Amino acid sequence: MAGILIALCIGLPWAGALLVWWIGNDNPRWQHSLAVGFSAAGGLAALALIGLRSQGAGLSLKVGGAFGDFSFVPDGLSVYLTAIATVIGSLAVIFSIDYMRGEEQLGRYYALVLFFIGSMAGLVLTNNLFLMFLFWEITALCSYGLISFHNDDPKAVAGGIKALIITQLGGIGLLVAAILSYSYLGSFDTNLLLQKAPELPANVLTILAFGCLAAAAAKSAQFPFQTWLPDAMEAPTPVSALIHAATMVNAGVYLLARFYPAFAAVPNWREAVMLVGMISALMAALMALAANDLKRVLAYSTVSQLGYMVYAVGAGGVLASQFHLLSHSIFKALLFLGAGAVIHAAGTRDMRQMGGLGSQMPFVRTVFVAGALALAGVPVLNGFWSKELVLEAGLSGGPVWVFGLMIFTAALTALYTFRMVWMVFFGENRGGLHAHEAGAAMKTALAPLALGALVSWLLAGPFSRLLAETLPHHSIHALPTGEILLEVIKAPATYIALAAVALGLAAWWWREKLRLFSEALSGILWVAAHSFGFEAINRGVVSVTNDAAEDLRGSQTGLLNWNVLAIIIALVLVLLLLALGA
Amino acid sequence: MDAKTALTLLLVIPLVASPVVYLIGRISFHQSRGQYIVARWFALAALASMWYPLVVTAKAVLADGGVDLHVGRILLRMDGVGLFLAVTVLMLSTLATLFSFNYVSGEEDEEKFYALLPVLTATMIGLGCTRDLFNLWVWFEAMAVSSYLLVAFYHHQRNSLEAAIKYLIQSAIGSLLVLLGISLVFLQTATLNLDEIRPLLAGSGIVSLAAGGLFVVGFGVKTALVPMHTWLPDAHSQAPSGISALLSGVVIEAGLVAMLRALGSLSEASPAWGALLLAFAALNMLYGNLMALRQTEVKRLLAYSSLAQMGYMLLGFGVALAYGIKDGAAGGFFHIFNHAVMKGLAFLAAGALLYALHLSRGSHRALVLDDLNGAARRYPVTAFALSVALLGLGGLPPLSGFMSKWQIFLAGAEVRSTPLLWLVIFAALNSVLSLGYYAPIVNRIFRNEPSERVLKGNPIAPLMALPLLLLTLATVALGVWPSLLTWLTEPAAQGLLAAFGLR
Amino acid sequence: MIFSLPNIAIVVVLGLFGVGLYGVLISRNLIKVVVGLQIAVKGALVAFVLAGRLSSQVDVGQSLALTVIVADTIVAVVALALAVQVRRKFGTLDIPSLTSLRR
Repeated sequence: MAGILIALCIGLPWAGALLVWWIGNDNPRWQHSLAVGFSAAGGLAALALIGLRSQGAGLSLKVGGAFGDFSFVPDGLSVYLTAIATVIGSLAVIFSIDYMRGEEQLGRYYALVLFFIGSMAGLVLTNNLFLMFLFWEITALCSYGLISFHNDDPKAVAGGIKALIITQLGGIGLLVAAILSYSYLGSFDTNLLLQKAPELPANVLTILAFGCLAAAAAKSAQFPFQTWLPDAMEAPTPVSALIHAATMVNAGVYLLARFYPAFAAVPNWREAVMLVGMISALMAALMALAANDLKRVLAYSTVSQLGYMVYAVGAGGVLASQFHLLSHSIFKALLFLGAGAVIHAAGTRDMRQMGGLGSQMPFVRTVFVAGALALAGVPVLNGFWSKELVLEAGLSGGPVWVFGLMIFTAALTALYTFRMVWMVFFGENRGGLHAHEAGAAMKTALAPLALGALVSWLLAGPFSRLLAETLPHHSIHALPTGEILLEVIKAPATYIALAAVALGLAAWWWREKLRLFSEALSGILWVAAHSFGFEAINRGVVSVTNDAAEDLRGSQTGLLNWNVLAIIIALVLVLLLLALGA
Repeated sequence: MDAKTALTLLLVIPLVASPVVYLIGRISFHQSRGQYIVARWFALAALASMWYPLVVTAKAVLADGGVDLHVGRILLRMDGVGLFLAVTVLMLSTLATLFSFNYVSGEEDEEKFYALLPVLTATMIGLGCTRDLFNLWVWFEAMAVSSYLLVAFYHHQRNSLEAAIKYLIQSAIGSLLVLLGISLVFLQTATLNLDEIRPLLAGSGIVSLAAGGLFVVGFGVKTALVPMHTWLPDAHSQAPSGISALLSGVVIEAGLVAMLRALGSLSEASPAWGALLLAFAALNMLYGNLMALRQTEVKRLLAYSSLAQMGYMLLGFGVALAYGIKDGAAGGFFHIFNHAVMKGLAFLAAGALLYALHLSRGSHRALVLDDLNGAARRYPVTAFALSVALLGLGGLPPLSGFMSKWQIFLAGAEVRSTPLLWLVIFAALNSVLSLGYYAPIVNRIFRNEPSERVLKGNPIAPLMALPLLLLTLATVALGVWPSLLTWLTEPAAQGLLAAFGLR
Repeated sequence: MIFSLPNIAIVVVLGLFGVGLYGVLISRNLIKVVVGLQIAVKGALVAFVLAGRLSSQVDVGQSLALTVIVADTIVAVVALALAVQVRRKFGTLDIPSLTSLRR
């Protein structure tokens, strides 16, 4: 039964992708309905799968050899991430009905989105490292295809290729981890790796651990690979919500959480993970403060929040990181889709042009503010509880100075969130924009997400049981919701964080009076607006490679005599090498 | 039909069909208003009729490990490696022939084209199953000559002539070096049978080392090892697209198989061959990718990418020969097949566009990247096929190129050596670099605004699109279910390792 | 013995090879390049005959040499046919002017 549901979670969206693509762009109505139908069916299958969670393989197809057996395990971590991927996926598809209406090449759009949803489910469900890498790359392929969906726009193309190449660079880490683990264990089974990790040679385990960290950092847009995510904002907004906020970017955190028990003992690994998370969170928060593009602010905030999750894993708080992942998926999808409604109505992404849009689109304003409060960590929304859990785990499992910086980041988060909400929905309408309220399909997608942001924290207890029951290596304890919440309320970290959030809010409220202070900050913000030099490094690498390639082209002289000379030189060199070797 | 007859037929059918096709073409030409309809269908029928003996041979090979055929002093033995090559070659040449029906229709000397295709196919099958070192050279040389003529098919075009003459001179030097190597081996051992040579040359020092070096460089010219590759971008881009597909997809790989066969006889003499292949692997990957990165002509870009892809195959075989890892050889063969499918598809799809946009309008200009803009709007099937081929070559799942690269990388890790792990990482980095030129092409294809040329282009005939569809299907199928081809690659890997005395 | 038959033959082989390859390497004329190739192949012929003689399989050596002659003649014919076409289309056999395919 679980096997069938797993097959449905992956297969339904994939079948939908084929159908939507097959039916052609002449039938946009059918394309919309089919996409919604198949993605919603996949979501239902995933929700049903939660009830059938287990530690054993639910589905296993015999392949063997260099590819292992294609097997899938519906354990707690997998099923809840599958549910997130498929449910938020179907909400994003529903949102697209309004957002993508009248677009060209709709078939390609829906096919890629559905293909992505199925692959994301596969990525989290499989327990075969090879398949995990395969799905890892498929999600990168879909992300690339969707970022550059508007192929006529050179910025979209550049963003897509950048995302593809950077995530692939990191992906080499996962590749190396997978092939090494096969080489030493003779199997791709992730559970076997978790079980046998202490028996591996120390240097091999170190390569595995840091390989996975590199892969995770690239996928989750963490330091030093963070640059691709802001440029990925050229994608249609539902895609940004789905892939670049709620699901694919979580794959990195998932990878770290999945293998935490195997790698925790590797010297310096946990510290490295915490540092990566902290640096990403802090840098991205500063960049969000300096940005004026609505979607880029949200992208930076995604990097920053993912930094929190990575930090939590490094500190040993797997449950906290996954709970924050759940909250973040909900409120960030909400924020992105809300932003999509605003952009769709206003026709621009520049927040300097906006202002006062709240009165024109009250529904969007309401849900957006709910999401923003959750992001800022204001009680009692879901972001508050999960962020406090993360900080608490950080304080108990990591150095205090890192914790201090994360608290500072929490203040920055509140600051940039209020700045964003204010610039979009309140104050005066600077650009004189005429926005209209979101359509029915958009509202249908936004409402459940807003509800989730308000109440998903009530699931803390069942969530901890879900993870505790089926992850034997992770030593997670199941607690009732009340106890978890009480723990948060009692913890001193909570009040420090709340004070920081209040400070951030206050800083925005009295921004006029703090002008002197903000001028002192302007230098940092200038650096932040220039992405701390990482864009320059990226450009440098690209141009050096291109120049080298261009110069090398001169070696194809087209002159026959030179070609013959090359053959003879090669012969001499080969003979020399062989003679020296003998 | 017994296996010996089947193997005989496999070689005889195309060699007999070739002159018949030519004669039919000459005779029927006047009756069919400037068309070579009979000749082209006869050529296709000849190739198609080879499938039955191939299946019979394959069954015997897989059951008994080999089919022997004595021709005078020469032993032809179809084993795993030969069977692999035969299947790959026949698959691609059948489809390329079908593709060429429209493509070369109405060109001067069309009948010669169809007469040469079966010869090219036969020589590669023969090359795969011979057990005689000199006979190997004969097949190799025959393959080379037929490919010279096919590259020079547009002999009224200056560029094609230039490419063909350069190809000929360089390839001839390569085969000259091979000849010298063979004479050295013959001098030492007084025999030409590959299996007899091996024990005789055990530890025989400098002469067999020199022979091996000559084989590596000599066959390396045909295999396009950098820096003996300079003919390749010219020849592959100037040949008719069906021939480009064959050259890139199977001819250079046949050169590689010939090199491996010859080196197998020297495997007792030195353990260095695997390491040498690994060095060329690194060189080929980096050079091929960098050269393709800034290329603007589509077929030339694909030609350079063949250099890089050859690097992956060399990596697999190098690991197999240096460390006796079977996954390396199996991955190498798997990649040869996938490359034949993907690069064949890429050249055929680019060729279909070249035909629709330029050739059918009487222009011999090269297809450049800008011509591809928005091609998906007008040529959905061809454009999709080309995208699948390019992304597959870039090693993205769920396409077959991902699977074979994976198997090769896995073999590299199985060695458990740090330098080799670095080489695998280097190869993976190259794979990422290659996306730097594959991905932008796909983006171009799916633009909304078509280029001028696409707007003015002619339609693509269904007969031309059929091979594209089949190859696309194969690329996806092997990318979803990689073990579909294990029955072919595993015996080939076993055969290769056995020839090197490794297992 | 320095002037034994094998030694002389080896010198001849290497000499023919060297002269041929040198010709291919430095000639600017397509015909001369083909001639250079032919000279080098003659070296291989001598090598086969020599190898046959030394391994007391004269007949094998000779038959190999004959096969090489046939194959090589075909190559030479194709090469010269192409050279004729090159002369017609380009108006020259000068190799440096055959460089429109570059980069």
